[in-house]
Amino acid sequence: MLVQDVMTRRVVTVSPAATLQEAYETMQSERIRHLPVVEEGRLAGVITDRDLRLATSTLAPAPFAPDAKVGDVMNRTVRTTDAMDPVEDAARTMREHKIGCLPVLEGDRLAGIVTGIDLLDALLKLTGATEPTGRLEIRLHDRPGELARLTGLVSERNVNIHSLLTYPEEREHVRTVLRVNTIETRPLASALREAGFDVVWPPDKPCPA
Amino acid sequence: MPRVIYSQAYKAYDFGEDHPFSPARHDMLLDLLSELGHSPALCEPRPATREEILTVHEEPYVQRVESLGRGEPVADAQNFGLCTADNPCFPGMDLAARWLVGGALEGARMIAEGEEQKVLQLGGGLHHAQPDRASGFCIYSDLGVTIRRLTSQGFYVAYLDIDVHHGDGVQKIFYADEKVLTISFHESGRYLFPGTGDVHELGSGSGRGLKLNVPLEPYTEGASYLEAFDQIVPNALEWFKPQILVVQAGADAHFEDPLADLMLTTRTYEALYRRILDYADRFAGGKVLFTLGGGYSPRAVPRVWGILMLLLHGWPLPEKLPPSWVDRWSARLSLNLPDLLHDPESPFDPIPRAEEISRRNRQVCDRLLEATSRYWF
Repeated sequence: MLVQDVMTRRVVTVSPAATLQEAYETMQSERIRHLPVVEEGRLAGVITDRDLRLATSTLAPAPFAPDAKVGDVMNRTVRTTDAMDPVEDAARTMREHKIGCLPVLEGDRLAGIVTGIDLLDALLKLTGATEPTGRLEIRLHDRPGELARLTGLVSERNVNIHSLLTYPEEREHVRTVLRVNTIETRPLASALREAGFDVVWPPDKPCPA
Repeated sequence: MPRVIYSQAYKAYDFGEDHPFSPARHDMLLDLLSELGHSPALCEPRPATREEILTVHEEPYVQRVESLGRGEPVADAQNFGLCTADNPCFPGMDLAARWLVGGALEGARMIAEGEEQKVLQLGGGLHHAQPDRASGFCIYSDLGVTIRRLTSQGFYVAYLDIDVHHGDGVQKIFYADEKVLTISFHESGRYLFPGTGDVHELGSGSGRGLKLNVPLEPYTEGASYLEAFDQIVPNALEWFKPQILVVQAGADAHFEDPLADLMLTTRTYEALYRRILDYADRFAGGKVLFTLGGGYSPRAVPRVWGILMLLLHGWPLPEKLPPSWVDRWSARLSLNLPDLLHDPESPFDPIPRAEEISRRNRQVCDRLLEATSRYWF
C-alpha cells in the first residue's frame, strides 16, 4: 500500500501572506486541521490548528493578533513524503516526529496530503470485512513453509482467502489473521487443528456438541 | 389457523450430502409434528419467476445461476460466489432457488390479501444472498424479493433476523429504503461470518436510522440475549409502526450449533418466539411472515423449530419427544437425539466471562439506542 493509495489529493493550502484569522476560517469551513503553506507554487511550510491556538493563546508570553501573518507562525521545517513511498514509511515519520500530517510531493509539486485519519482508514482497510467473510486467527511457527502449509490446506477445501494479516507475536511465533469466504469457519478450524495448527479463533466450544 | 408454506420441491435446494444446509432438517421437523399428532395446513406455492428474481438480483448473476443449473461451465462463477465451498453448484439450482423465493412470496400474498395473518415458510430465510452474488448457502434472496413485493404494494415492513449470522444481504438490499426497518441480532462480525453488522451500520439516505444491528459477544447466553432483545425490539417496532413483520427464524444461535458461538437454549427460543408473536400482535396488526434460516445441529434444530411451530399454532408444548421419532432419527443420523423437547436447565458449564459478556452486550444496545435516537424522534 503506497501513500498515493491513501492520501487526499485535493489539498487546501494557504499563502504565507494570509492572516491567522483567514487560516482559522479556512480550517473551520473545510473541517480540516492542517494547511500546507504555498508560496509561488513552492511548499514553504505547514500551519496546523494547534499552531493557531498556541500562537494566539492568552497564555502565550506574546500572543499573536488575528491579523498576524501565517508566514510568521508557520512551521518552516516541513517533513514530507513521496506519493510512491510505502504507507508504513509515512506512518513511521509521523510517529517519530509526533506530527499529524505530511504533505505529499511528486518531485517539487504538492500532490496531496496524508494525515493521521488517512492512516486510520488504511488500518480499517487492512483489517476490515469488505466482503462476506469469516475470520480465522492462527499462531504460526515463524519458520519457512508454515504459511504455505496453512494456505494450502485452505485452498484444498476450495475456500478463498480474502485478506491476510500477519504480525510478530513473540520470538518463535507470528499471529496470522485470515478472512476467508466461508460461513463454515468452525469446521475449517477443526481441520486446521487436526493438521497441527494452533488455532486461536474460533476456539473449541466449552460444551458437548 | 396459521398456514405453513411447503413443497416437496424445496428438497431440490440441496448442496450435497455433507453440506450443513440440509433439507433433511425439514423432514425431521414435519415428522416430529406428525408424531405429536399435529398436521399443519401445508400450502403448495409456485416457484418465483425470473422477473420476480430480477426485482432484487442483477441480470449477470442470474444468468450464471441459470447456466450452472443447466450444467454449463461458467468460467467466472467464483466471482459471483458460486461453485465455492459454501455454495457448490448443482443441477437445477436456479429452479430450486426460485421455489424457495416463491414460497416466501406466496406467504406474503396470503397476508397482503387478508387470507391469513400468520404464515410460516418452511424453508428459505436466505439472508446472505447479495444482489450480485451467492453467499453463505444463499443463492436468491427469498426475503429480499418478498419484502420488495410488499413495499411495492405500499406496506411498511419490519424485518427481524434472529439467525446467529448478520442478515447482511437483506440489509444491503434495503439499506436506503425508508419503508423497511431491519433489525438483526447476531454474533459480532468481529468473530463470525459475514463480518458485518456493526452498530454503526445504520442505513443511508432516507433509510438512515432504520437498519439496526445488535452484534453480540461470543458465548452470549439466553438471559443477556433476551435483555438486549427487550431493550431494542419493542422500542423500534413501536416507533416504526410496521404493517407487517417478516422474521428470519434461524436456529443457529443454539449452543450446540457447529458453526457459531452463541449459547441460547431451547428455553431461550421459547421465550423469544413468545415475544415475537406478541410483538406481531401489538405492533404489526397481527401480521407476521416467518421463514426458517440457518441452524445446523440436528440435535437442536428440530426442537427449536418444533417449538416455533407449536407456539405459532397454539398447540401445547410436550415435555417428552415421541420415542419412536427419537429412535428413528437417532438411527438414521447415527446420533444420540435428546428425549425431551427442552434442553436441561443448565446444559453447559458456566461461561467464565459471563458477566463481562453481558456488560458488553448492554453497552452495544446503549450505543445503538444513542445512535438511532436522533433519527427516531
